[in-house]
Amino acid sequence: MEREKPRSNCAHRSWVLADSVVTPEAYYLRRREFLRVFGLGLAASALLPPTIRAEPAALNDSLNPAFKLDGVKLTTEDLVTSYNNFYEWGLAKDEPKDQANRGWKTRPWSIEIGGLCAGPRKIDVDEFIELLGPIERRNYRHRCVEAWSMVIPWDGFPLAKLVDLAQPKPEAKYIKFTSFFDPGNCPAQRSNGFPWPYTEGLTLPEAMNELAFVAVGLYGKPLRNQNGAPIRLVVPWKYGFKSTKSLVKIDFVAEQPRTLWNQLAPNEYGFYANVNPNVDHPRWSQRSERVIGAGFFSGKQPTLMFNGYEKQVAHLYASMDLRKNF
Amino acid sequence: MNFLIKILANKLFALLLLIGVGVWLLVIPAFTGSLGANPLEKLLHQSGEIAIWTLGAVLALSPLRVLLPRTRIVNAVNRHRRAIGVSACVYGLLHFGLHVLYEGGLDGLARSLSKPFIWFGIAGLSILVALALTSNNWSIRALGGKNWKLLHRLAYAAAALLIYHQSIAGKGHWHIARWLLFPLLTLQVARITKILLTRSARAGRMMSGFGVIATPP
Repeated sequence: MEREKPRSNCAHRSWVLADSVVTPEAYYLRRREFLRVFGLGLAASALLPPTIRAEPAALNDSLNPAFKLDGVKLTTEDLVTSYNNFYEWGLAKDEPKDQANRGWKTRPWSIEIGGLCAGPRKIDVDEFIELLGPIERRNYRHRCVEAWSMVIPWDGFPLAKLVDLAQPKPEAKYIKFTSFFDPGNCPAQRSNGFPWPYTEGLTLPEAMNELAFVAVGLYGKPLRNQNGAPIRLVVPWKYGFKSTKSLVKIDFVAEQPRTLWNQLAPNEYGFYANVNPNVDHPRWSQRSERVIGAGFFSGKQPTLMFNGYEKQVAHLYASMDLRKNF
Repeated sequence: MNFLIKILANKLFALLLLIGVGVWLLVIPAFTGSLGANPLEKLLHQSGEIAIWTLGAVLALSPLRVLLPRTRIVNAVNRHRRAIGVSACVYGLLHFGLHVLYEGGLDGLARSLSKPFIWFGIAGLSILVALALTSNNWSIRALGGKNWKLLHRLAYAAAALLIYHQSIAGKGHWHIARWLLFPLLTLQVARITKILLTRSARAGRMMSGFGVIATPP
């Protein structure tokens, strides 16, 4: 939509200004204060790296020391917010940053908890975040199925908190995650032939694992649209496509849910999709990964079993053939 | 119009255009830092795409020459078949070099050989190299026109291999090949149809000519 321009009655006289563009007296009298504050801010911002300037308000969070990820270099915020697989907003990774910010509104946003649970609800996302308590920060490795990786400082809360709030019934065995469906504002959902909306799923024990996380921000700021605002899943031991962005619905179900990538290519994208260097994608190797932000001559780094989270999650798959259940 | 045709037919212009594509899509972005978050991957993809589109362009020329004979534009562009074909090979080799770099050297290249799409790419590129090496007048004389033409029909095999290579290389990349494959197939079908039609028309005329003499007694 075009921004409304101040209108004047005498269009031909360039000096005529509408009342609406006149600075209110109160602001005019405080102009020096404005200069003082803004000037200080400007001076301070000059000292910061360019990516941190002019950003949304910070989230009130603190780093959970158990998920500090010592000795691992975080991917810069600029890279995390400009290299995104978000097919609703373009197939190329630099497209979502642009396409998802052309008027797509991620607030107000409501999220629905339903299915086989005692506490179903439909609630505004900000109220929901409030309800789930303090936000914590966790540094997680992120491994895409396309063999690239990042390390991202997420802000959010454990998925287990959400599950506890919903009180699943005993017959609930899986959780189905559904992203937005808005073909009116999202051209890709009208045309590109994917079975929208984006859906994913976890088993209940997976969802209760301490690593499973619901992110509402990264780098201490609310999620940008291209990263799955306002609320998304983060499952660090699985390939990135499991971590559904922009959630609108979370359902407790008895049967394993059909998921988007699994529907498109069941032989390539399994339901479990655990990061596993020993099981290749049919078309490319999963043995190593390119670290986003590493230099031209860095090559690839070896991929870790369960993306380095073997200790926390291996027991979930103890009796499972991971070659079959890829 | 005459001026345009003259420019189109100019060898230097064609050369500048073919090099210019690479400068515009690879060199300038590399030096202005506008390759995005995974710059090497971007160069890898761009170079591969330039190669496959260039190959597509040269393959579109033969059917266009049959479908629109004696058109001045087609004739002008046809002068550059060799230059366009050789640049497809050069961009392909660049793409291969970037792949080796992306995988982190020869060990990485060796590991990547376990995947079919890499083999399709290498097979397609090998054909392009063979064709580029024989893209000179000496080779045409040495091989003889007929053999040379037969050899260079392998360009179609290369295109098939490379379009397949490209469409299975990534997650959901088939959409690009579509824009190349279907126009090329349409052109080929139109070309073959036209050749068959003119042949049967000629044969028809000859048959009726023979008919007078060869009526059985």
